[in-house]
Amino acid sequence: MSLPQGVRAGLLVGAVALALVPLSGDRFWVQFAGKLMITCIYAVSLDLLVGYAGLVSLGHSAFFGLSAYLLAGLANGLGLVSPLATLPLCLAFAGLAALLIGWLSLRATGVYFVMVTLAFGQMLYYLFSESPGLGGSDGVSILQRPRLAVLGRTILDLGDRTAAYAAIWVALVLSFLLLRRVVQAPFGHVLTAIRINEGRMRTLGYGTGRYKLAAFVLGGVLAGLAGYLDATLYGFVNPAQFGWRQSGLVLVTVLLGGKGTLYGPALGAALLSVLEHFAERATEHWSAVVGAAVIAVVLFLPRGVAGLLEGSRG
Amino acid sequence: MAEALLETEGLTRRFGALAAVDGVTLRVERGTVHAIIGPNGAGKSTLLNLLSGELRASSGRVRFRGEDVTRAPPDVLSRKGIGRSYQTANVFPELTCAESVWLAAHSRNAGRLFQPRRDGADTAAREEDALRACGLSGRRLSRAAELSYGEQRQLEVAMMLATDPELLLVDEPLAGLGHDEARMVLALLREVAQQRTLVLIEHDMDAVFAVAQTVTVLVNGRVLESGPPAAIRASPRVREAYLGEEEP
Ligand SMILES: Nc1ncnc2c1ncn2[C@@H]1O[C@H](COP(=O)(O)OP(=O)(O)OP(=O)(O)O)[C@@H](O)[C@H]1O
Ligand SMILES: [Mg+2]
Repeated sequence: MSLPQGVRAGLLVGAVALALVPLSGDRFWVQFAGKLMITCIYAVSLDLLVGYAGLVSLGHSAFFGLSAYLLAGLANGLGLVSPLATLPLCLAFAGLAALLIGWLSLRATGVYFVMVTLAFGQMLYYLFSESPGLGGSDGVSILQRPRLAVLGRTILDLGDRTAAYAAIWVALVLSFLLLRRVVQAPFGHVLTAIRINEGRMRTLGYGTGRYKLAAFVLGGVLAGLAGYLDATLYGFVNPAQFGWRQSGLVLVTVLLGGKGTLYGPALGAALLSVLEHFAERATEHWSAVVGAAVIAVVLFLPRGVAGLLEGSRG
Repeated sequence: MAEALLETEGLTRRFGALAAVDGVTLRVERGTVHAIIGPNGAGKSTLLNLLSGELRASSGRVRFRGEDVTRAPPDVLSRKGIGRSYQTANVFPELTCAESVWLAAHSRNAGRLFQPRRDGADTAAREEDALRACGLSGRRLSRAAELSYGEQRQLEVAMMLATDPELLLVDEPLAGLGHDEARMVLALLREVAQQRTLVLIEHDMDAVFAVAQTVTVLVNGRVLESGPPAAIRASPRVREAYLGEEEP
């Protein structure tokens, strides 16, 4: 379960390189790399479900969207701007939603689980895009970004792009390290074994439902973190963030990168972001280019890009 | 009469029109080996699945240590002290023997979701003992998928032992084993039976009559006869319905 040597070095280099991006002073690239890191958090949060617990969720965007919308609501409706208040509230809300949706969807297994999670995501999509009170199909602008002030002096303003970028970087590093710990702990081993043979785990005495629900909630909280950061970076939320396209895209990212490795999906998120960026410039049919790349990886690298790296290990 | 560890009363399981287990009333005494024999399709494995909670009974009751556990799910029954192994190897192909047996041993501490990384000498010792007892010490780091069929069966038994059950439900532990492996597993079961209670399904009659104190004959889901091995061997009904076809 330990990381291949080259991967460990690559992750360090990647983290340092990302930390240096703001030095370029280029607004576009800072925004681009910020978004890329948010996608990484999103993807590793789903990898816990798909790659470890074997729960293929097509409703993961629900938690991203709920947390992002709650931030907009707290800022616009209540004028709550301190991240010390909004961050815990948004994460707790995402976690509670995951508890409820997970509790209901985990009654189904296999493809039915996929369908139920998909249905929850779509329900929220329609709810938010068709309720004017919730912003409707246009979405909502966040009037005040999270800002931390002590005695009237602002010490952290996430409306500032560089500050937001730094916060995203820290969040990515912490999320990754947290998930590494979780999957290497007994809890992670139990999840893996449940994925392989759930029936046997039950006769060995494991209440497998509780483990799967715990994984679902933890994944939901981290997706909520990604949503919070996304809303902070862009100052804007919209109902498409709930849609199945978003959930599908993260799932593709996880599979492309290599599920069950954590670093694979993070790598997948980075690769897809870069590929999309350049394909978008080269041709208006860029989504076809990205699609072809995805098909090629799925056909020729069944374990994703990570499988390629692990395969080359001594 | 010794104390009953496990009792069933009119236990029935239907699959559509077929009553695979049909009104079975059993009494398994603490500290004994209780064998269940019967022709293919008699309902032996289905009965075991009812006892381990993997199948729901259509009607009837199960009591374990005097407590009604008819509706208890398999994980609860496992933690109450009922372990089982399967007729065909039911293992974790991608996990190593050490990991598989560790999971089994660790399940005794699995009351909480997040436990410390290593849960003490106790788990490690149980893991080690179970692997050694089943002759798998040399295969610690082999994945279950790389094991021979016989070794997978041994791993199956090792996982069951590592959960430290009071009652063992063992479904044809010797099937598919070579001569030496079968002797080893049989010796192991006898040793285990010194301190625990076994419900044993087995087609090898020599093995059954060598280890069991009680034999129940199941035919078409019903109990045909139940009693000490000598009585079962002598019973004309059993000879006619089942044993007769195997003896010269
Ligand atoms: N899940 C199921 N659905 C439908 N029928 C089943 C199911 N499981 C078992 N049966 C049927 O129930 C009957 C008893 O099966 P069971 O596996 O319990 O027999 P057995 O005594 O263990 O046989 P064997 O010696 O071959 O292992 C068989 O007729 C079988 O086809
Ligand atoms: Mg059977």
